[in-house]
Amino acid sequence: MTGIAGTTPVVGGILPLTISHNTLVVACGVAAVGFAAGVVGCFGVLRRRALVGDAAAHATLVGVALAFLATGRRELSVLLAGGFISAMAALGVLVLLRRFSRTRDDAATAIVLSVAFGLGITIVSGITARGIPGGAGLEQFLLGHTAALTAADAWLLGTISAVAVLLLLLALKEATLIAFDPSFAAATGWPVTAIDYLLVTLVAVMVVVGLPAAGAVLVTALVVIPPVAARQWTDRVPTMLLLSGLFGVMSALFGVAVSAVVPRLATGPLVVLASAFIFLCSFVAAPDRGWWARHRRRSQTEFERPNPPGGDQSKPPEDVESFST
Amino acid sequence: MPAPPVSNASPRVSPILEFHDVTVAYGRRPVLWNIDLAIDDACLFGIIGPNGAGKSTLLKAALGLVPLAGGSIRFFGQPFAEVRSQVGYVPQRETVDWDFPVSVSDVVLMGTYARLGWFRRPGPRERDLARESLKRVGLADVAGRQIGKLSGGQQQRVFLARALAQQADVYVLDEPMAGVDARSQELIFGVLSELRDAGRLVLVVHHDLRTAAQWFDRVALIDRRLVAAGPTATVLTSENLERTYVGRLDLLDELGRAVEERGRTS
Repeated sequence: MTGIAGTTPVVGGILPLTISHNTLVVACGVAAVGFAAGVVGCFGVLRRRALVGDAAAHATLVGVALAFLATGRRELSVLLAGGFISAMAALGVLVLLRRFSRTRDDAATAIVLSVAFGLGITIVSGITARGIPGGAGLEQFLLGHTAALTAADAWLLGTISAVAVLLLLLALKEATLIAFDPSFAAATGWPVTAIDYLLVTLVAVMVVVGLPAAGAVLVTALVVIPPVAARQWTDRVPTMLLLSGLFGVMSALFGVAVSAVVPRLATGPLVVLASAFIFLCSFVAAPDRGWWARHRRRSQTEFERPNPPGGDQSKPPEDVESFST
Repeated sequence: MPAPPVSNASPRVSPILEFHDVTVAYGRRPVLWNIDLAIDDACLFGIIGPNGAGKSTLLKAALGLVPLAGGSIRFFGQPFAEVRSQVGYVPQRETVDWDFPVSVSDVVLMGTYARLGWFRRPGPRERDLARESLKRVGLADVAGRQIGKLSGGQQQRVFLARALAQQADVYVLDEPMAGVDARSQELIFGVLSELRDAGRLVLVVHHDLRTAAQWFDRVALIDRRLVAAGPTATVLTSENLERTYVGRLDLLDELGRAVEERGRTS
């Protein structure tokens, strides 16, 4: 992926082109988004809230369209601010729905997701149908389109991503505690709900910032797939965050690179496919948790049952330990 | 570290733990009625009762995890929020995801987080404390292991070690013996007895009558209401047990064994 830096041709010989300064800055900005989305997304996955981010993502479209209607401007900052507000509004509705109706979590999430998305699509197609000047291209927020980003846009995305990662790292101890054992955290005096809201808000921020890269429909892949892939390789939260971030960078850069080379190709699907490929590799090849490792362990224990190999002592017999108190 | 206020020698105004007319409801359905219970001295205290009797709910109410519909609960005469740091907690093992990517020592370190406060990371002092706590429960050699790779009994001991790292004056344990092998049970009860001997109150929700008669100094029998409370030998009478387990025929067997056991130990 680092091959796009510098001025070498990207796709060897077939489509010779040089990388402009703008493309380079955009690639860096989107890479930062991919990293932050991967890092922040870990806690969505660990807290078993993967679909909440998806509801927020689908709700961004309403805000993007309304921000455009209200201001008549198409600056990325304005549109994303609108998207963030509607994403948070959707999460608010989700909280209320859970608290004041007897709707189950998954059903409530599905309802908020589809209603908000339906509303967003209606407004966007209304804008397109009426031919409001500047309104064309809003549908790019549906599937992502990094080719249209400016260097200034990329700086904005990169800065927000950096802040999100820093905030999460600052509260890493607290986030890990409430994700692992919320009732212990509550009993020892931590404001579990407030920390939860902080984490969900960070996911919402990353979903909004990820819109140009992956679009409202697919951006959830940036906050879910890299964490799940990363979990395959490690048993520690910090390592998982780092790996997930790197997987996010790889997926995002793949999307940017290919959509820069092939005109009119939406970025989002490419990002998803790239991260799905990483996930598949992780699922198969990861040591210990991967399919191949588990398969080998199983057949080894079958053949060598009388004398189990040193690599498979995940559950040592209790009796061999000694009392040490 | 707050000075341990628990000492058998010093005169004390209020009991270590006092439930006053406690009623708890889930929605509109009351699960605990008018519980009145005061524990004055450091001891191993068992809360015993059938499934669905509200034992765990009583603990959660004491820790502020479920709201009270009526009454009050006080530690050292103060509301729980004031004495939080003096209360160590061992939740039920099934309440967490054991596939979570943390190591044994990571989990034990969580016992030091409340003392550390916001944003401060554990340092050498906390690591020493965690190591010592793990040693006490006999898990020093698996400190680096992912928690899902332990047996049920070992997992429960990790939770106990985390509570030890809280350096509390009162320990509250929710079903610490559920799904735990005999050896771990013995080890856990051993640590709990040490805590009691060091002047701590240890409050345990427990379901097995046999081991209850064997280990606890005092017990409370609960079946939505308080049936009886006091020294184990005077409370675990066949009469009280019948009142607690009334209509629960599948437990008559256990009841018989418990009474028999009590006869042998006392």
